[in-house]
Formats: sequence, C-alpha cells, structure tokens
Amino acid sequence: MRPVSTWFARYALQLVVLVIVIVSMYALYPSFRVEASIERLIPLGVIAAGLAVTMIAGEFDLSIASMAALSGALTVVLSGLGLITSVLIAITVCTLLGMLQGWAIAKLGINSLVFTVGTLVLIRGLTWLVCGGLSISIDDITASDIFYGKFLFLSPLSTTGLVILIGLGIFLSRTRWGRELYALGSSRPEAIAAGVRYPRGMVIAFGISAGCGAVGGALTSALSGSAAPNALESMLVAGIAAALVGGISIAGGRGTMINVFLGFAIISVLSAGLAGMGSKAFVSQLFVGIFLLLIVLVEYFIARLGEQGRRSRLRRLAEA
Amino acid sequence: MTTAQGSAIAFQERAGIRRTTNAIRQYALPILIALVFVIASIVVPQFLSFQTIRAILLATAVTGIIAAGMTAITLSGNLFSLGVTASVVLSGVIYISVGSATGNIFVGALAAVLAALVVGIAQGFIVGLGLNPVVVTLAAGAIIYGATAIITGGEVVAARSRELGRFATFAIVGIPLPVFVLVAFTALAWFVTERTRIGRNVHLLGSNKETARNSGISFMGTTIWAFVIFAVGLGVAAVLQVSQTLQVQADNFPELTMNVVAAVLVGGTAVTGGDGSPIKSVIGALFIATVTQIMVLVGVPQGTRYFVLGVIVVVLVVTLHLLRKAGSR
Repeated sequence: MRPVSTWFARYALQLVVLVIVIVSMYALYPSFRVEASIERLIPLGVIAAGLAVTMIAGEFDLSIASMAALSGALTVVLSGLGLITSVLIAITVCTLLGMLQGWAIAKLGINSLVFTVGTLVLIRGLTWLVCGGLSISIDDITASDIFYGKFLFLSPLSTTGLVILIGLGIFLSRTRWGRELYALGSSRPEAIAAGVRYPRGMVIAFGISAGCGAVGGALTSALSGSAAPNALESMLVAGIAAALVGGISIAGGRGTMINVFLGFAIISVLSAGLAGMGSKAFVSQLFVGIFLLLIVLVEYFIARLGEQGRRSRLRRLAEA
Repeated sequence: MTTAQGSAIAFQERAGIRRTTNAIRQYALPILIALVFVIASIVVPQFLSFQTIRAILLATAVTGIIAAGMTAITLSGNLFSLGVTASVVLSGVIYISVGSATGNIFVGALAAVLAALVVGIAQGFIVGLGLNPVVVTLAAGAIIYGATAIITGGEVVAARSRELGRFATFAIVGIPLPVFVLVAFTALAWFVTERTRIGRNVHLLGSNKETARNSGISFMGTTIWAFVIFAVGLGVAAVLQVSQTLQVQADNFPELTMNVVAAVLVGGTAVTGGDGSPIKSVIGALFIATVTQIMVLVGVPQGTRYFVLGVIVVVLVVTLHLLRKAGSR
C-alpha cells in the first residue's frame, strides 16, 4: 500500500488542519453542517483553482477577482438573452480576455505581478462601465430558479465547481499542455530549452485563470440575480489564501488540484462556521489572514528543518 | 570594412540607443505631467486655479508619502506591500482614539506612527526570513483589518473635537501642511535610500540578492529597515488622511493600496528591485492625482475615471518595461 501512504504523507499537513477545523466547528457549534460549506466552491473554490494554475506556471494573476466581477456584470447585462446563454457568453469573453493577457505577458516578457496590478484596475474599471456605476439586477427574477435544485448535498453550482476542479486536475497531470505548466513553473530556462513553448503556456495559464474567475463571477451573479461594480473584491485574498493554505507553492511548479480542494475546504469550513455562529465577515477575514500566515510559516520551518537534516547527513557522510 | 570595425560601430550604435532610451525613461513622466498641465489649462477653463492646484497637491500628499516609503521595499527586491489600506485604518483609529483621549494631537500622531512601525517591523521580520512579501503583506492586511474591525465593532470612529483636524487645516501661505510633509518625507526617504549605508544595502540587495548576501549584507536587517521607512511614511500619511476626514471606519480607503502600488509602478521604479527612487514614485502619484482631478473637473463619471486610470497604468507600465529592456540590451 505504498502509493496510499505517500498520498497521505503528501497531503498530511492539510488533512490534519482540515480535521481540526471541522472538529472544532462542530464542538463550538453543534448544529454546524459541514456539507453546506461545499456551496462555496462557487466562487471561492474555482477562483482558488484559477490562481493555483498561474502559481503552478510560476506566475501570479492579481486580476482574477476583477475578472470575476466583470463576468458577473456581463451576465446580468446580457440576461435578456436567457440566463444560461448570458453566463456562457460572459465566461467566453472573459476567457478570451485572459488569453490575450497571457499572450501580452509572454510577448512583452513582463513580470506578471506588475502587469496584472495594472489589469486589476483596468478590468475593475471595465466592470464599472458595464454596470453603469450602479448595482444592477436581472429583470426576470424567476430566471435564477434553475440553479436552486439539489441532489444529495450537491446543487447545480457546486457540481459545476467540482467538475471544473476535477477537469483541471486531469488536465494538469495527464495532458502534455498541463505538464508543461509545471515545467515552466519549476525551471523555466531548462523547460524552454527542452522545447516547451513559453507563450503557449502563458496563454493557457492566464486563459484558465480568467475562465475560472469568470465561472465564479458569472454563476454568483446568476444565482443572486445581481451584480455590483465593486463585487467580489475580497475573493482575491481568500482565493490566494485557499490556494496557499492547500499547499500550492508560490514559487511555482508544485501542487495539485487536491491541494486546492483541501485549501478551499479549510477556508470555507472556517468561514461558514464563523458565519453560522453569527460572526461578522471581518472575523473570518482575521482567521483567514492568520491561517495564511501560519501555513506559510510552518512550511518555511519544515523546509528549513529538511535542509538542516540534509546538511547534517552530508556532513556525517563527509566525516565517515 | 573588417568585422572588428563593424562590431565596434554596432556596439557604439547600441550604446547610443541605450543612452537615448535611458534618457527617455528618466524624463518621460515629468514631461508627460507638464504636457497634461499645459493641455488641461488650455482646454479646461477652471483648471489653472489655486483651488485646483491645491486639491491636486492634497490628493498627492497621502498617496505620495506612502508611495515614497514603499519605494524602499520595492528597491530592496521585496516587490510591494499589499496591506496598505488596513494599516492606514489601524493608524487612523489609533490617532483619533489617543488624540481624543489625551487631547494632544502630537501624542496621537506619535502613537499612530508607533502602531504603524510595530506592524511594519513585524511584517519586515517575516519577509526577512525569506517568505514571499506579497503573501505576507496580504495576510497581514487581512489580520490587521479583521482585528481593527473587531476592536471597533465595525463602527465609525469619529473625532470628539475638530482640534484633531489641525494637521490638515494648518496652512502656510495658503498651502496646507500635508504638502510640506510630503516634500519633507520624500526628501528624507530619498536621503536614506540614496545617501546612507542602509540605502546602499537596499539597492545592492535589490540588484543582486546573492552577491549582496555573499558580501556580508544582512537580508533580514536590510529588509526590516526598508519596512521601517515604509511604516513611518504610512503612519504619517494615515494621520494626515484622518485629519481631513475626522472619522475612520474599518472599511475605509479600499482603493488606497492599489493607488500606491500604481504610483510606484507608474513612477518607474523597477519591480525587480535595485533601480528607482522615492522621488519617482511621488511624481507617479502626482501624475495620477492630476489626471484624476482633471477628469473630476470635466465631469467624467466615477466608473470611466477608474477605467481611464487602469488604461494609463497598463500603458505606462508596459512602455517603461519596453524602454528598460531596450536600455539594458
């Protein structure tokens, strides 16, 4: 049973944290229902997945929350065409914008953090223009009803979120284009020398990132029937927290969609539990921040201990 | 012509291009601001008034002071802090509470700067361990925001007397105090980053981390110093900001972090570190404030203003990047 034990070893830290969070939520708040947290796959889970894909490729997409807001605004504005159609159009438009962004980053050879700080403001501005500066809502308020059905604990939205995560997991681990993203993230010069096409990688990574953001934004707006120019701003921090708490490396080349799901689960159980206890949103912000900081510190010290162990082994070998 | 001569000529040509692009990069933004000023004063009738200039300078003051401080972090190769808003709110709350309790605005301001220093040094320490600055400052921002909101209950913290607004209303020859503070702090930040040993270490670390460490420069120490410069500016700016509004709430100033980062980037400080100056970042802030003020005067709605600002940031950042690439070839 070696593969199973290595699987557990790989995700041990996150699994332990998740169990602790779930147990403490039940202890503090007996009527807590853990399966309700899965509803937060839209938007948090998919946004974390989008951020994770760019992080794996060694880049950073700060514009993802703005992209989600734009997609939500487009969904509401175009809802006259039918809600499903408008959702699909919004997602397509935003994915194309993301691919354009990836192409620009590759062609300019610019640091993606710098470029996406600019597009964060730009796309938010576009959202303001699409909304006309106001909160807007769908004319036909019954249109959202199709999203409310439930099968076991899965709604249409959380199923979509799960399908996206699983699909991305297969794409990243089983396809050539997906594996190329890991190569670009872990050792870029070597990857390019070995024939990986850097511009294609960037177009794919930022296309997926924008697409994930767009799915999150479009479905959130479709469900609530409304969109606002400053919507989903807190999703950037929450998404980064989920991805990193799950164990995606910000240095690139490391992490899977299972990491994303675990990170998402930890953050959403925490926020759902705190919200259920009647705490305000800022309390969960505090805990998200603390978790993010703790997990990067713990990983840092684990890496440092590993390094020290390796050095002392080498020293012993040298002495022998 | 021999190949040696040919390559020598090619080298000279390249050197010429390098000089030109570097010159453009150095003076592009000041020239751009001057151009915008001239065009605006011809096209927009109310633009060339004392009132407008005063508004632009006031708007530049807060963003500019924080951007000047943040330049130290960017120069040291630690990208930027994404937790500006939360720290400004924290310092603002402390200024109002301590200032109201003691009745002394200087004690309040001192407490606000100290609070900014404490959270700044803590972040500098964690970044100094070698952790990613973007993640650390985002997390710290969320923690500070959450803590401030819990302590204040998410309510508005208002000043008990107008006395607390003295820092903003006090003016010398019609120019409000924040503008003088901006000039003084920028000069200080410039002096520290360009003329002291700390500044030299900051530059070296940003240009080449490995070489700097191998020549005995402490990454931890230098990073903490960069965060100290940033935190002092942030504390001072928070006092000036809150003096204008006389009240503060945890949800205030959501766009401040991005404005400061945009000012640093538009100013032309390299995000990879080692190249740039606090003065450039203040010019970046001045440019953004000028364009915003013109749009306000012309009556451009808020959504369009935000969009235009985004376009300007993207275009300028890309242009500066291309010029830097051409200049270093």
